[in-house]
Amino acid sequence: MLVIRCPYCEAERPEVEFAYGGEAHIARPADPSTLTDEQWKDHLFIRTNARGTHFERWRHVHGCGRFFNAVRDTVSDKFVTTYKAGLPRPTEAELEGMRK
Amino acid sequence: MNAYRIKGKGRVDQRKPVRFSFNGTAYTGYEGDTLASALLANGVHLVGRSFKYHRPRGILSAGSEEPNALVGTDRGNGRFEPNTRATVLEVFEGLNTTSQNHWPSLKRDVGAINDALYMLFSAGFYYKTFMWPKSFWNKVYEPFIRGAAGLGKSPTVPDPDTYASRFAHCDVLVVGAGPAGLAAALEAGRSGAKVMLCDEQAELGGSLLSETNARIDGASGWDWLKAAAAELAALPNVTVLTRATAIGYYHQNLLGLCQRLTDHLASPPEGAPRERLWKVRAKQVVLAQGAIEKPLVFDGNDRPGVMLAGAARSYLNRYGVKVGNRPVVVTSHDSAWLAAYDLAEAGAKVAAIVDVRPEVAGHLKQRAAALGIEMLTGWTATGTSGRLRVASVRVNPISRNGVFGPARTIACDALLMSGGWTPSVHLFSHTKGKLDWNEEGQMFLPGERTEESRCAGAGNGSFGLAAALAEGAEAGADAAVDAGFKAKAATYKVDGEVPLMGVSSRELTTDRNASKAKAFVDFQNDVTAKDIRLAVREGFKSIEHIKRYTTNGMATDQGKTSNINGLVIASDAVRRPAPAVGLTTFRPPYTPTTFGAFAGYNRSELFEVTRKTPIDVWAEENGAVFEPVSLWRRAWYFPKPGEDMHAAVTRECKTVRETLGMFDASTLGKIEIVGPDAAEFLNRMYTNAWSKLGVGRCRYGVLLGEDGFIRDDGVIGRITSDRFHVTTTTGGAARVLAMMEDYLQTEWPDLKVWLTSITEQWAVIALQGPNARKLFEPLVEGIDLSEEGFPHMSVAEGRIYGVPTRLFRMSFTGERGYEINVPARYGRAVWEKLFEAGQQFGITPYGTETMHVLRAEKGYIIVGQDTDGTLTPEDAGLGWAIGKSKPDFVGKRSLSRPDMLKADRKQLVGLLTSDPNTVLEAGAQIVLDPNQTLPMKMVGHVTSSYWSGTLGRSIALAVVEGGRAREGATIHVPMPGRTHTARIVGTVFYDPENKRLSA
Amino acid sequence: MLHEFHSPVGREIAVGKAIPLRIRTVDDCARFSLRFDPARLAEASKAFGLALPAKIGDVAASSGRLAVQLGPDEWHLLAPLAEQGGVERAFAELYSATPHSLVDVSHREVGIEVEGTAALLALRSAIAFDIEAMPAGMGCRTIFDKAQIVLVRETEERFRIEVWRSFADHVWGILQATSREIELDI
Ligand SMILES: [Zn+2]
Repeated sequence: MLVIRCPYCEAERPEVEFAYGGEAHIARPADPSTLTDEQWKDHLFIRTNARGTHFERWRHVHGCGRFFNAVRDTVSDKFVTTYKAGLPRPTEAELEGMRK
Repeated sequence: MNAYRIKGKGRVDQRKPVRFSFNGTAYTGYEGDTLASALLANGVHLVGRSFKYHRPRGILSAGSEEPNALVGTDRGNGRFEPNTRATVLEVFEGLNTTSQNHWPSLKRDVGAINDALYMLFSAGFYYKTFMWPKSFWNKVYEPFIRGAAGLGKSPTVPDPDTYASRFAHCDVLVVGAGPAGLAAALEAGRSGAKVMLCDEQAELGGSLLSETNARIDGASGWDWLKAAAAELAALPNVTVLTRATAIGYYHQNLLGLCQRLTDHLASPPEGAPRERLWKVRAKQVVLAQGAIEKPLVFDGNDRPGVMLAGAARSYLNRYGVKVGNRPVVVTSHDSAWLAAYDLAEAGAKVAAIVDVRPEVAGHLKQRAAALGIEMLTGWTATGTSGRLRVASVRVNPISRNGVFGPARTIACDALLMSGGWTPSVHLFSHTKGKLDWNEEGQMFLPGERTEESRCAGAGNGSFGLAAALAEGAEAGADAAVDAGFKAKAATYKVDGEVPLMGVSSRELTTDRNASKAKAFVDFQNDVTAKDIRLAVREGFKSIEHIKRYTTNGMATDQGKTSNINGLVIASDAVRRPAPAVGLTTFRPPYTPTTFGAFAGYNRSELFEVTRKTPIDVWAEENGAVFEPVSLWRRAWYFPKPGEDMHAAVTRECKTVRETLGMFDASTLGKIEIVGPDAAEFLNRMYTNAWSKLGVGRCRYGVLLGEDGFIRDDGVIGRITSDRFHVTTTTGGAARVLAMMEDYLQTEWPDLKVWLTSITEQWAVIALQGPNARKLFEPLVEGIDLSEEGFPHMSVAEGRIYGVPTRLFRMSFTGERGYEINVPARYGRAVWEKLFEAGQQFGITPYGTETMHVLRAEKGYIIVGQDTDGTLTPEDAGLGWAIGKSKPDFVGKRSLSRPDMLKADRKQLVGLLTSDPNTVLEAGAQIVLDPNQTLPMKMVGHVTSSYWSGTLGRSIALAVVEGGRAREGATIHVPMPGRTHTARIVGTVFYDPENKRLSA
Repeated sequence: MLHEFHSPVGREIAVGKAIPLRIRTVDDCARFSLRFDPARLAEASKAFGLALPAKIGDVAASSGRLAVQLGPDEWHLLAPLAEQGGVERAFAELYSATPHSLVDVSHREVGIEVEGTAALLALRSAIAFDIEAMPAGMGCRTIFDKAQIVLVRETEERFRIEVWRSFADHVWGILQATSREIELDI
């Protein structure tokens, strides 16, 4: 069981309080009706499936209830960082600093 | 009695005898004995038969690494456990044990014929032997394999024990309470850090318990141990757990410890759990797991009486048991010489020390000579004899250029072997820490770490007491410092310790035909050196493949005594260095662990949460039969005396249609949606339009996933302009709320609307039937219940029996219906009052089955039963619920994808069987042509199917490709026994004009 | 008024004489789930009659009222039963100027008090986070075995669990099992 830092609670909390929420930084198109079938398919179904650094959503569902974003290494299963929903993706340079 | 026990020697309490039995024979041991030490004290070496060849086997080790001595233990009252290691099982008064893998008796075993069929069972026998002829499979091979497979017998009754669980957080967790672990725990404990120390044994000390020579800081090892244990016990910041095995090391320094609480007690207190699984999160971890002695691999190294030299020393020094009166030692490591000395000094006649090394240190020889022990250095063991107990060992000298001299046979009653020591790196390996091969020691050592951990002592390749204490103290101090405390490692002065050296080898060479040697590597899975060489000859080069092909290291001991021997032999056969051949991955648990420990409290009533409504107790008192629906248990039907389910449901349906029924709908999910943007939020979430829904009105809503498929449905009422009461399916409640929160928080954070689960705030009583209004009109205050004032699909707040209510007028039966929401604590009382008042109308309580039948008669779907995640609203006949003019809602875009518009999509239809008495099976497949060749083309399946008492015939709902266009067509439903025919009809079987809603 | 009913009420677990552990259901009270703009917290504090905590995990309590902040804009409020109507009216008056959500969840929850020197030990059987490190006067939503709860550490040795009523039996069953371990000192 992992310990995950919730950026809203600003605390390390046990994994049982959290739920995984799929890949992060995929915004729902403002007007889906303007998308072609191909574009809509990509939005719905196509994900990066990264080996290594993965940007993903989690929800502190049994805590503060907030969705937030996380960077996790899918090989080591280690979290690099977590940050509030709506904030931009950390850059590779920033992540490099956090990995140390 | 206890012919092999030395009076006054060892740590067992020789004033406290304990009676136990083994295979029906009564024996006596002492408090502090393991089953193994107590049997050995009675001269019993033969304790079981091996798994594949049924060879007689004895006790190999004195610890949890034991591969051979597995027994069945019966602790009374149905408490039976197979495969318990005799070397860790503590004896207690009344313990009953039995040996395994034999028939009819341990001494005469029919299965031992397997031993003679040795050639048949060599490496890969699972894959090769039973391939041909095919016809032999069912009658010959399979019964044989099943008979031979597995180890002990399974228990025949459910485990009567209970199990516990506990979380712990600490600064420093020390695993292993040998000298290194004790030194580490002392240092960390003295720093003030919160420390936990665990050890799998019943008492602290580890290797110190078997060590009688060395002195620490001027005190005997045992006196030092006593002082160390006392100091730890006195430190309030230190928790010491004995009988607690660290079974797994997981991410972020989480370790699982399985603590045995009552297995050692003759009569455990009532209600005491048997084991507790600790889940310990530590800032820093010190691994002091020690080392495991390696057997030597030679022909006949598995006979009862052949054991590890270190184990013999443990039995002598710790338990006061001589494992034999005439032992022979065979070794490649100095440590076995100590066993010879100790046994000689205890009065055994050590017949010889056979050391494969041409030269050994002078001091070793001097002491052996002083004790009158014959030394054969540069000799090797090439065979043993003795059917049920070793009787002699065959030894040969080998010249420096490898030439064998003539064999000698030495009589013995115990053969003690040592091939050196393997550091226990199991837990370190669980963390995916890198292991480095140490060529000189022929061992893997902990390398680069992935977690906040340190290894110390023999488990880190630092052998000997002085090294263990020094490294342990340092690791403990460093761990405390890293956890934020001040600490400095103490130093210890150790006297009386001699450095111990050795060489490690593949199987011992022999002057005989090596292909006939039964030189065992893995004792539990009966894998020999020859098997491993055969696997290599057949092309296997990686240890991961060799392991699986030969099953070496795959038994319940996970190869604790066999992995390195297997690897060294494989590497010799492959002619590549050991690290290139690889080490198999160690996985949790470190030792076999009960399922009970993992389940903890979650068994029987606490297996899962069983959610019950406030009305559940009444249903139980009134004879309801229950069914599980997600985590809830719901009243299924209410049989009267003599009624079966069919009769009860038919009666309940009839009563609802004719007069009045009441139904506990409390489990329905309920969400209160509040805020100025509440209607807009619902517009975006549900397919329907909500802005124009008037206050006091409600509407059926359909929720899709973004993929356009139906996810949930329910009735939504508008309480005020800014406040909605949303209902969901019972099983979908949490999922729907999570989905709404997702959209609200991450897609539309600008909306001013908030969601609160009120599922459990309200108890819900559905009153359904023509007399519903008559019953409770007089009971309700503050709501005009007239047809005009409160038409179908209305909601209002008022009081019933003085209790606040949110009253809905809605129907899931097709009859006039109301759903009375009252605050949950009043649910039972209001229900009882209504039931009482309803007697005048012949009211019936009804359960979920009647609810299902009544709604099916009306063609109302149940999401998750009639839909399966691939149905659009159009497919389900709910196209009318789509707000066509809305620019967007969740899932809308997907509804115009080409696949969603195909004419042959599966659509929900009704079915009427040709034989009205046939009730189709829900889930049955549908075909158009029953005479087509197999496999038939299936065009759909039955989703709901019931006997309808109202209609006097069966009805069914189904999804069928292009179903609506096929209305009137006949389809076929193959079911076990025969194929039924049915006609496709509309989904509404009863009152299609909905006249009864206001009747 | 009709009699009220929920299953664990009236039950009690006591271990030892000098209360090393006492577990009981607490008296019913009014409960609200409040969602409010944290920037205008003062208005909510005034309406509730208690300065609401302004940091997730903080608890405020006074004269029968208790508030614990569960999320960035979410508070779990407890008040005496008699004051339920007053609280609802006070917030209703605020609504048009400061839209928010106040939902009555009085009946959704069962309150369980775990008190005594062994309270921590009892809770550690089923709560994964480090409760010992949680100061008195803090609270949070978390998981107790398989049930979601709100846990408030009222004093060093007294905890309050708020749990949805249909999960209360499960929580109670585990507290019973762990109390037996504490009683046996095992
Ligand atoms: Zn949080």
